[in-house]
Amino acid sequence: MTDAEEQPAAEGLAGALEDLGVASPALTRREFLYYLWASSMAVFLVGAGGVTIWFALPRFREGEFGGVFIIPVEEIPAPDADPKEFAEGRFWLVNVGEEILNDPRQPDNYELNSGVRILYKVCVHLGCLYKWVPVNDRFECPCHGSKYLKSNARIDGPARRNLDQFLMQVLDAAGNVLDQTEATWSGNREGTSLPIPPGAVALRIDTGQRLLGAPNTKPGGGT
Amino acid sequence: MRIPRPKILSLPFLDDIEEKGVVKASTDLADDVVTRVTSGLNISDVRSVLRGDVPARPNPRLTPHAEGFWLHMKPSYYNNLMDGLYPTFRLGWLATFFFAWETLTGLYLMVFYTPSPLVAYENMLNILSNVPFGRWMRDTHKLGGELMVLVVAFHMLRTYVTGSYKRPRQFTWATGGLLLILTLLVSFFGYLLPWDQLSLWAVTIGASTAEATPFVGREADLLMRGGPEIGANGLLRAYLIHVLLLPIMLVILLGVHYYKVILHGHSLPPEAEDAGVDTARKVPMNVRTYFMPKILTRELVYVAGLTLLLLGASAFTFGYHAPLEPHADPLVTPLHTTSPWYFLWIQGLMKLGDKFIFGALIPFGLVFGTLVVWPYIEVGRNRRYGARRIGLSIAAGSLVLAAVLTYMGTPWFAVATSPDQEAVAVLLPQTKPGPLRLADWEDIPYGTFVASEWATAPTRTTSKLLKMFDDALERGRDNPIYGDVEGFMIVEDWQTDLKKITLRVVWANPETGEPSEFSEVFYFHRNSDYGQGE
Repeated sequence: MTDAEEQPAAEGLAGALEDLGVASPALTRREFLYYLWASSMAVFLVGAGGVTIWFALPRFREGEFGGVFIIPVEEIPAPDADPKEFAEGRFWLVNVGEEILNDPRQPDNYELNSGVRILYKVCVHLGCLYKWVPVNDRFECPCHGSKYLKSNARIDGPARRNLDQFLMQVLDAAGNVLDQTEATWSGNREGTSLPIPPGAVALRIDTGQRLLGAPNTKPGGGT
Repeated sequence: MRIPRPKILSLPFLDDIEEKGVVKASTDLADDVVTRVTSGLNISDVRSVLRGDVPARPNPRLTPHAEGFWLHMKPSYYNNLMDGLYPTFRLGWLATFFFAWETLTGLYLMVFYTPSPLVAYENMLNILSNVPFGRWMRDTHKLGGELMVLVVAFHMLRTYVTGSYKRPRQFTWATGGLLLILTLLVSFFGYLLPWDQLSLWAVTIGASTAEATPFVGREADLLMRGGPEIGANGLLRAYLIHVLLLPIMLVILLGVHYYKVILHGHSLPPEAEDAGVDTARKVPMNVRTYFMPKILTRELVYVAGLTLLLLGASAFTFGYHAPLEPHADPLVTPLHTTSPWYFLWIQGLMKLGDKFIFGALIPFGLVFGTLVVWPYIEVGRNRRYGARRIGLSIAAGSLVLAAVLTYMGTPWFAVATSPDQEAVAVLLPQTKPGPLRLADWEDIPYGTFVASEWATAPTRTTSKLLKMFDDALERGRDNPIYGDVEGFMIVEDWQTDLKKITLRVVWANPETGEPSEFSEVFYFHRNSDYGQGE
């Protein structure tokens, strides 16, 4: 092979390409046009795929599925009593008192003050509806066994955050806002509990606005 | 000399009659038709196949494999070692049979089904109680689906154990792995269709798992749910995926899978050839078993027997009926909700932690991903058991792990609630009718009955139910929070043909003596079968 003797084999990437037959022989116009055509088809197919997904995405208005619920203060459970379910609003009403604040199971990573909290009824793990189990004094999810305290803190199971909360306002008889849920900012974004001041007549709960529970991953709860 | 008839109409058969006479022309025509239908075998060839004669040389029985569509998917001859049950157990053929079976029975069910949350459950009740053979078809469709999962899984297990996935059959194995995944998916979307509690909560969990995917989670969730809430759109999507999208993908992959089997031949039992070589493609003349008639007959007998067994099993024996849970209720997740047995291992995994890692990454990425590409990872050529200790150990370990995870997916692991609620759920389960709803209405008299006094209950049915209640409460008696726990069943006359039954568990706090209770009310109608279509 005189060619091989005259031209030492190329090394590195060029050599590897040579071995694969990629580098030689030189690209012809015909081959080049094929690649051009093929890549335009590829671009078209990717685009068509994207359009298909866009087509299959359901159409709905954002926030269509929330609602505003007015609850008279008489319906608020006593502090530390069993939480009260509002199925139509998909939430639980909890009144945090001394007992909940001092619950030894409560992980201490989270700010918790006494007052009323609104917990979204859906388990933050995989979307089942957890339920209140009075004997065990906790919420339990029947699907994969996530457990939460009344406060919203996860204490067991595969959920990786605390229960979500809805924003709430406390209204007086004239409809003035006396107090409203604030996001706490001590390393997480959970909502505060609202003590019910004198003169308050109703709670206004907006289920279109949800505060995600703070991360909570340790066995027994906490981060 | 005859003068040719002027041709107005060309009918060769008439010319034949003229030439050969009616009888000869007719038999020739029949012979021709048979040859065309069988793609190459005339009547005497067919009879020779049926008699089991030694084939002529060249073998006319090979022609249908070369020229016909159906038989070109089957090898024309097998190695003698491969003509019996061992080592394949005909599991691949059986899986194909179940695919056909599911298509047929599914078509039957589709006639009586509309994918809408408004009527889907009603359709089920109609199929169960009003459609001739409806319940039978539903049972056999469900049973066939479960057996298909089982058969495909066993097919893979067998292929694994005999090392038949090894070179040159890596790609055959990969398509088989994809077929297993498709089989599981088609089952998943199938059980969403009745719009019972299982449907709703399974799709909720499925879509929520999709939502946990990084970056595209929200889109994946919406694509599957069909909207922010599961409803008509989601059900329609599940239906179309079940009856159209996945079956089409299955057919395509099945074709590829079959082609690869023809190409490489059936791999021989590992001990039948030298270590590290594959001789399946070259079958010496003296060890050939031709497809016709032996293999063909066996395969047909096999599926005929199985069809009978399936129909018989779903019609007469074991009291097996495809389950139907209560109507989908978006306000209640039922206690003890579980996926079908073949997904319990994923449900078990999901109880362990992060939904993306344990719900998607491990089962789909790690388990199924590894399964599909396994032959490209474990590349040793030797199929002898002794040379594959690591591979076989990994398989055995995975099976044990799957069994443990399956247990963890059941209601006994990590989801059991307080003993009072569990005891009531024994009589009134939330995912199936259970013993109380299916009890004989007449046999439950009015009155208040105490669980621990089951022995003196007025009827056998009541006594049996109370004993179950009491046994379940027994577990609570160990728990220090239950002092003097007792169960009551209160039966009241509520309306004509309607009894109000209250199950009540009462206990006292052992320290304070403060009483607590848990109760559930159930209205028992004389004529309701609670969706079981009796």
